[in-house]
Amino acid sequence: MIDLEQAEVIPDMWREVFESEDIRFCFNCGSCISVCPASNADPPLLIRRLARMVLLGLEDELLDEDTPWSCVSCSKCEEVCPMGVRPFELGLAIRRWQVRNDETRIPPSLVELYKEGYTQPVSRALETRAAVGLGELPTIDKDPELLKAYQKMLMATDVVSNNDYMFKG
Amino acid sequence: MSKYGLFLGCNTPALRPDVEHGIRYSMEKLGVDLVDLPGYVCCPAFGTFPSSDEYAQLAVNAWNLSLAEEQGVNLAVQCGSCYSSLRMGSHIMEEAPKREKVNEILAKGGKHYQGKARPHHMLDILYNEVGVDRIQGKLQRRLDGLRAIVQFPCHTLYPSDVVGFEPDKGPPHVLTDLLEALGASVEHYSLEHQCCGGAGGFHKADSGAAHGFLKSKLDAIAAETEADLIVVSCITCLMWMDNQQKTLSEGNGHSYSLPVFDLNQLLALCLGAPPEHVAAISTVPRERITDRFK
Repeated sequence: MIDLEQAEVIPDMWREVFESEDIRFCFNCGSCISVCPASNADPPLLIRRLARMVLLGLEDELLDEDTPWSCVSCSKCEEVCPMGVRPFELGLAIRRWQVRNDETRIPPSLVELYKEGYTQPVSRALETRAAVGLGELPTIDKDPELLKAYQKMLMATDVVSNNDYMFKG
Repeated sequence: MSKYGLFLGCNTPALRPDVEHGIRYSMEKLGVDLVDLPGYVCCPAFGTFPSSDEYAQLAVNAWNLSLAEEQGVNLAVQCGSCYSSLRMGSHIMEEAPKREKVNEILAKGGKHYQGKARPHHMLDILYNEVGVDRIQGKLQRRLDGLRAIVQFPCHTLYPSDVVGFEPDKGPPHVLTDLLEALGASVEHYSLEHQCCGGAGGFHKADSGAAHGFLKSKLDAIAAETEADLIVVSCITCLMWMDNQQKTLSEGNGHSYSLPVFDLNQLLALCLGAPPEHVAAISTVPRERITDRFK
């Protein structure tokens, strides 16, 4: 339970979190939660509660929330939201805001994506592929110049350039 | 013959290349030309750049889309989250100011995205372009006598105005119709539309709940149907529903062993492909289904 008497409230915080003004139309009906698989997790992902936290500007509490990360990305909440709030996008926006304010939230997989381009060993699965009659794929590592160009592009993004020590070397 | 850039993502080519072979084989037999996208990268998956930097997400989406655009083709995608990531990204980049800002980043990598190339899910291509009639006309073998249940790929359903391709409103039926076209009968059960539980962030956050989703589905399938197999069209559904049956069986006193197939694997088998190429990798043994194709 959040004690609103004690909590520090930042009235305009929602603008930093979510670029869509539609979030203000959320009237907490709970349609999003009723269709959300992750609302069954422990702790539950309760997206309308997160929307409330964003609108109230509960910065410390929202920074500590792990539940936005348990979303299954099915986006059914977007289908049923009667106010066009786009709850799935809101969940991703909360993750991004947390990442911007707390580098320990940066997904470690970003380094893998920067170095190799994939979340699985696509270019090294030669035996598995040969066993089912398939050859090598034209993965990005086969073209070192292209991999360099991809990394240069990523270095021009905020999350990579602001945390470049993670990606170099 | 229509032509698409085959966007394979990460899991399929690395861990389940038999599904990739099933896709390549079946689409070619149906007259859909699939070309590789040299230098493609992870879509990006929702737990990566989309969770950390919107413009990094869009730039990576645009990188992949531009590779297809360079060859003058749209993309064909099987993995649900790859499809949704690319589809949502291309939808956001329909707005010219956003696309221009993305192109400034993309230019550092020597690429440009005009907004022309669009991703299509394999089910969309099979149902809306190839069509059930043409598929039936090409079958060499059929699934007659087999009873199946389907797991609809959630990423192809919602939000319907961005990712959807079902021909009408109401319950989805594209996957069901395609499977029935192969001769299988599709049974329905109470938890048909429940999530499979396989999404990475979800099972990391609460493995018990994620396994609970699969267990309750399998129990409902056993109680309410006489299904011989589960049919999916998403690599996450496939790997989770196949691999985790073993986990659920350990120390449970009940053994779960319902074979799981991607639709394109069954399609390839019915079009004459050898099982050792297109249906070779699984945790739950599938011989009782694949033996009929030997």
